Parts: sequence; C-alpha cells; structure tokens
Amino acid sequence: MINQNWILALPEIVLAICAMAILVFGVLWKRSNPSFPCAMLALASLLLAGVLALSAPLGSAYGGLFAVDHFAVFMKLLIVAGAGLSLILSIDYNVQTGIDRFEFPVLILLCTVGMMIMASATNLMSLYIGLELQSLSIYVMASFNRDDLRSSEAGLKYFVLGALASGLLLYGASLAYGFNGSMDFAQLRAGLTSTNPPAGLVIGIVFIVAGLAFKISAVPFHMWTPDVYEGAPTPVTAFMSTAPKVAAIALLLRALEVPFGHLGQSWTQLVVLVSIASMLLGSLAAIGQTSIKRLMAYSSIGHMGYALIGLATNSQAGIQGVLVYMVTYVFMSAGVFACVIAMRRQGLALEKISDLSGLARTDPMLALAFAIFMFSMAGIPPFSGFFGKLYVFYAAVQAGYWTLAVIGVLTSVIGAYYYLRVIKVMYFDDAQPAFDARSPSLSFVAAVGALVTVLFFVFPAPIVNAAQIAASALFG
Amino acid sequence: MTTGTVTTITPMPGGISMAVGVGHYLVVGAVLLLLGVFGIFLNRKNIIVIMMSIELILLAVNINLVAFSASLGDLAGQVLAMFVLTVAAAEAAIGLAIVVVYFRNRGSIQVEDVGLMKG
Amino acid sequence: MIAAIAFYVFAAVLIGSAALVVSSRNPVHSVLFLILAFFNAAGLFLLAGAEFLAMVLVIVYVGAVAVLFLFVVMMLDVNFDQMREGVQRYAPIGAAVGAVLFLELIVTVAGWQFVPNVTLHLASATPAGVTNTAALGHLIYTDYIFLFQAAGLILLVAMIGAIVLTHRERGASRRQNIGVQQARTMANTLEMMTVAIGAGSRQTGILRPLPPPARPLDDHDDHGHGGHDDGHGHDDHAHAGGH
Repeated sequence: MINQNWILALPEIVLAICAMAILVFGVLWKRSNPSFPCAMLALASLLLAGVLALSAPLGSAYGGLFAVDHFAVFMKLLIVAGAGLSLILSIDYNVQTGIDRFEFPVLILLCTVGMMIMASATNLMSLYIGLELQSLSIYVMASFNRDDLRSSEAGLKYFVLGALASGLLLYGASLAYGFNGSMDFAQLRAGLTSTNPPAGLVIGIVFIVAGLAFKISAVPFHMWTPDVYEGAPTPVTAFMSTAPKVAAIALLLRALEVPFGHLGQSWTQLVVLVSIASMLLGSLAAIGQTSIKRLMAYSSIGHMGYALIGLATNSQAGIQGVLVYMVTYVFMSAGVFACVIAMRRQGLALEKISDLSGLARTDPMLALAFAIFMFSMAGIPPFSGFFGKLYVFYAAVQAGYWTLAVIGVLTSVIGAYYYLRVIKVMYFDDAQPAFDARSPSLSFVAAVGALVTVLFFVFPAPIVNAAQIAASALFG
Repeated sequence: MTTGTVTTITPMPGGISMAVGVGHYLVVGAVLLLLGVFGIFLNRKNIIVIMMSIELILLAVNINLVAFSASLGDLAGQVLAMFVLTVAAAEAAIGLAIVVVYFRNRGSIQVEDVGLMKG
Repeated sequence: MIAAIAFYVFAAVLIGSAALVVSSRNPVHSVLFLILAFFNAAGLFLLAGAEFLAMVLVIVYVGAVAVLFLFVVMMLDVNFDQMREGVQRYAPIGAAVGAVLFLELIVTVAGWQFVPNVTLHLASATPAGVTNTAALGHLIYTDYIFLFQAAGLILLVAMIGAIVLTHRERGASRRQNIGVQQARTMANTLEMMTVAIGAGSRQTGILRPLPPPARPLDDHDDHGHGGHDDGHGHDDHAHAGGH
C-alpha cells in the first residue's frame, strides 16, 4: 500500500531530490561558476521526471490526495516540456545579464514539482500546496535580476497580487470544505447530489475560480500580466507564459469538472464571461503596444480566453480542445520568447517591435521563425495555432455556445492585425544593423517550437488522441 | 449520526462541543477577510501594510478552517490550517525579501510611483 | 458560559486590533496590533479545541513572522507620512467593495447548512481520547506525509529565495583566513637586514607602507588578517544593463 503511494508520486519525489542535490552541488562547487553544470543537471532531471511521469502506473495515492490518471500524465509532460524549454532559454541570457546563479535552475525544478502536484491534485489541500510551491518559486524568479528596478518591481507586483489571489482561493476552499465536510474532489461531488447548491458553496466556487483565474491571467484578474511580463527577466517571462499556465489550467479543469461538473449551470456562465472578457481585452489592448514583451502579455491573456471556451462548454470535446490548445500554445510561446531573447544588439537586449524592422534581410532564419509563430498565434492555417482554435470553437458550436464561437472568431481577426503587423515590420520595413550572433541554445528552442508549430497538421493524431484520452479521464 | 436530514449550525455529533456555534466563528472570519481586503484598498501605497492585510486574510481562513474542523469533528481542516500557517510564514519571508530588494533599487516602498511600467 | 464570554472577548479584541492594523498611521503600530490580533486568534483556536494550532500561531507568528515584519519596517527608513496620501481617495471604493463582500458573506453564513450525511465521509475524524497535538501528529506523518514534505519544499524555496535576493557577498570586507595565517612562515614574512648606522629607509630599500600590488602571501597587515576572499564565482553582481 505504502509502496504504491510512493511509486505513483515518483516523478515529483525524484525531481525534488534532484533539486536538492543540485543545490548542494552548486554550493560545494568552488572551482568555477556552477550555474552551467547546474542547468545541465536540471535539464537531465527534468528529462528523468518526464520519463518517470510517462511510465508511472495509474492510480490514486495518499488516500485520495493525489491521482495519476491520463489527464495528469498529459499535463505533466507538457509542464516538463515548458519548464525544460524555458530553462534552455535562460542559460545564455542569464550569463549575458549577469544573473547566472545556480539557484535559478533549482528554483525552476522546485517550481516544476509544485506544478506536477497541481496537475495531480484531487484534493483542495494538495491543490493549495502545489499552487503555493509554484507561486513562491515564481515570485523569486521574477525578481531574480535583483539589481534591476524593473525586475524587482515585477516581483513585488506579482507577489502582492498573487498572495491576495491565493488568500481568496483559500477562503473559497475553506467554505467548500465547511459546506461539505471534505476536501476531496470525489467526496465533494458525492456530497453535492442536489441540483440546487446552497449559497455558501457557490461563493466558495466563485472564490476558487477567481484565485485560479489570476494564475492564468484571465480578465478581470489580468492587471499584473503586462507589467510583470515586461519587468521580469525574459526567460522567466517565457517560463511564466508556458508551464505555470498549463498547471493552472489543469487545476481549473480538474477542480471544476470533477467535483462540480454536474452543477455546470452554476459556474459555466462565470467562465463564459471571463472567457469573452479575456478574448476582447487580449485583442484590443494589444493593438497599441510597442514592446514585444507587453504584446505577448496581452496575447497570453487572449489565448487564455480561447482556452477557457473549451471549459465553458463543460463537455469532453471542450476539454479535449483546451488540451490541444495548451500544447500548441506552449510550443508557440517558447518559440516566440526564444526569438525575443535573440533580439540583442551589441550586448544590449532589445524589446521594441520597431527593433525588428528589416529582420528578414539581416537574419532571414530568425525572421522566418518569428513569422511562423506570429502566423500561428493569429490562428492562420496550416499552423498549429489554427487547429487549437478550431478544436475549441468546434466544441463550443457543438455545445450550442454560438456567441462564444462568434466572438472568438471576431477577436481572432482583430488579433491577426497586430500579429501581422510584426511580420510586416520584419519583412517590409527598412533594415537595421544585424543582431548579435545568437547562441545555439536559442536556435534550438526556436527550432523545436517551429517544428511543432509547422508539423502539427501533418501528424496531429498523436497529440489529439492523447488529449482525447486525457479528457476522458476527467469524465470517466 | 446517520440521519439524512440537513443539519444546520448546531455542532455535529462527534465534534468537539463548542461554547458558541460555528456561525459565530464564520462571522469573525468574514469580518477579518473584509478588513484584510479593505486594508489593501486603503493602503495602496504602503506595501508593508498590504502584506499585513494579506496575513489577516490568511488568519480569517484559518479561523474558518478551525471552526469547521471542530464542528465537523474532522481534523483535516486543522491539518490544512497548519499548512496555511507554514505557507504564510514562507510567503512573508519571500515578500519581505522582495520588498528589501525593491527598496534598495528605488529608495522607497511606495507602490504607486511606478511610472516605469505604465501603459 | 465562561467559554462563551471568552469567545466574545477574544473575537472583539481580534476584530478591533485587525481594524487598527489596517488603519493606524504608523506601520510599527500596525505590526504591534497584528501581534495582538494573532494572540486573540490563538485564544479562539483554543476555545475551538485546536491547541496545537494555537501554540503554533503564537510561536511562529508572534515569534517569527511579526518580528520579521517589525525588523523590515525598522530597517527600511521610510517616510510613512507620504504613504497616507491615497487613503482619502481610496476609502470610498474600498468601503464599497468591502460592503458588497460583507453582505455576500453574511448571506453565506446566515444560510449555512451542511450537506446531508456530512459525517459519513470525513477524511480524518477526530479520534477520541487522544490529545489534539498527538492526533495531528499521527495525521501529518501518515495520511498527509506527502503534503507535509511538499510544505517543507515550500520552506526550502523561501529560504533559497530570501538568500538569493538579499544576501550579498561583501567583496570589500577583510575576513580572517586561518589556513593562510597558519601557513605563514618566517621566511616569507620577515626579512633580516643589516642596516648601516644612520641610513634612512630609502637607502636600505625598506618601503613603508608596502606597495599596493602585494606579492602573494605577503599582503598581511601586522595583525595577521588574511585579506583573502574565497571568490565565490556564483555570486556575480556584474550587471550588464541588458535592457
């Protein structure tokens, strides 16, 4: 019995042990700066955790605190991929910025442990612990460039608003617990047999959804996103926009579908509103932006709005759509940030869209990769972003949410304007001096992102089928 | 214990008999939550008081959890309350570290004069 | 009866001091009221039978967290009067949000009811005849061991974070390096010279003080403090201004 528990949680346990071992290694390694060997060891640990997550048996452990099902495995692999790509992005950036400290990979690993716990959480208690492990690591990483005012300000803003969101989430969790006498998702569901839940529970759900909406930066809890995205070191921004988003979406899906799936009428309206507001704000507020990092911040708000369409349908097809969407989003996002980090001229990092002008002549490969990601984010076929949107819109239409699908299409069209503007700047504006030579690590991440984005339509079956199996785990 | 009726605020059988009903604790918790949220709005400039307001919110959660735990006769609420205490301590440590770093860079801890990243 | 009176006293003081935390002018007073609030919350916990949590609240919060707050408030030399400027402006919106929230919560509490058969699926029912602390101990080391360990990881992250963000290796400080001191031999610190009678230091080649680019193992001052820093490569403050 005990053995089974530990085997089910093996990926998390191994990753945590690796993180602590790397920490000790970094402290004891005196010969040179330990950040590079530590980053390599951290990558190896992530790879190991990914393999373990893939091969772990399915089941429920620790008396229902923790579950390993296809959904959790799918999300964990995506989380590990996002964390690994961001870690690769950080290696050279941190050296160039003078923040190459070995604690960075350790924090990424501990954060990943938290996110994996989130993906497996089947209890309000493990939900909270996983969420906090993830959040606290990110607060530190956002202010990692401690001599830079913008970085510390980003950390401060994210910390204050994040702590408030966790507090409200926790208050909701306490109400849900008090109402039902249990924090277990399955028990919550069993307790809620009546179709008319009492007010206390509804308020509890609202608080929980608000806390999680903050973590995925959905409107109206998005205020922190542009500032924090802009101020944080770019690899941290890349990290925040990939793995933690996946983990928070995983929590949101599981926390709403498993205990409250049959009470859809009391929360789908909420999700619909959040989704519409996020799509509108993401596409409208991005138009005037001149900084590529702020543009990506609004873009991520919009993307979360699209992903929430799938959740709003409260159907298996919708959840499958969300999962496919998250896969496409993680790889696009990592690729875009690889390109943003490559924007460096004479050692200075650039982040204005105008700095990209004429990139097609000075660095055609980078411009091509950037263009692929922009087309994909705009949802233009045959890139992966189009299929992500297709799946959620299709699920919305099937479930009868016509307005949601129509608004989604309209905001995609508006969004296409600013994505295509970046491409226009790169291909049709006057050339500027070339960027510095980019490091192979950036090229690697950009290539991985571009390959997934371009080849998705050739081999969609593995991802789509995996997403279907994962989604069915929540409805099983 | 196994009656199928809806139980109102009275303590559950098996729970520790409380001097006052769980409802009283919930009101205290709700008022504390309210004061915490109010404090965040009231002291938008003073980051340290904002952090203390967050501590008040977490205290409100703990009062709720302990009250439910006692009235249900279930220790899970107290276990979560203990985790909340742990996390809140960690959160305070990290938050204050970030405040110190910010202060070193800026020379003040006013959140509002953040003209750097507006837009 | 006495317990009920105690409850109302604790609750009233708790709410009163919480109100003063958010409204007092001086943050030091806020911290002190926060401590008072924690003490009274501990009293409420005791009344509800949560002895262990009450003690933890006093020890961890009053002993550590509140002191940490106090420390930071006093360490940062901040003009707190300026910070009160926004209060008048934000009081109405704060009050409006607060009122809405309060009404909602009152509705919640007033309509409170447990779900049917609530005791059937309690995760960890309170055992009879065991003290609160022992019962909690049994739980966190068995049923909740996984989360207990994860909470430990959270504390580890807090520790790493606080050190990474605030610790600075002081390059300028002169630390005692005992190994170097012990390794000093007479040959590389003392030089015996024969000085001609009446010769000044210039003629004999004795320079005082020693020239700045000191020879290895020779740069100790008279007190024997080795000025060697271990040169931690990881603590690199060079800031390339990459924005």
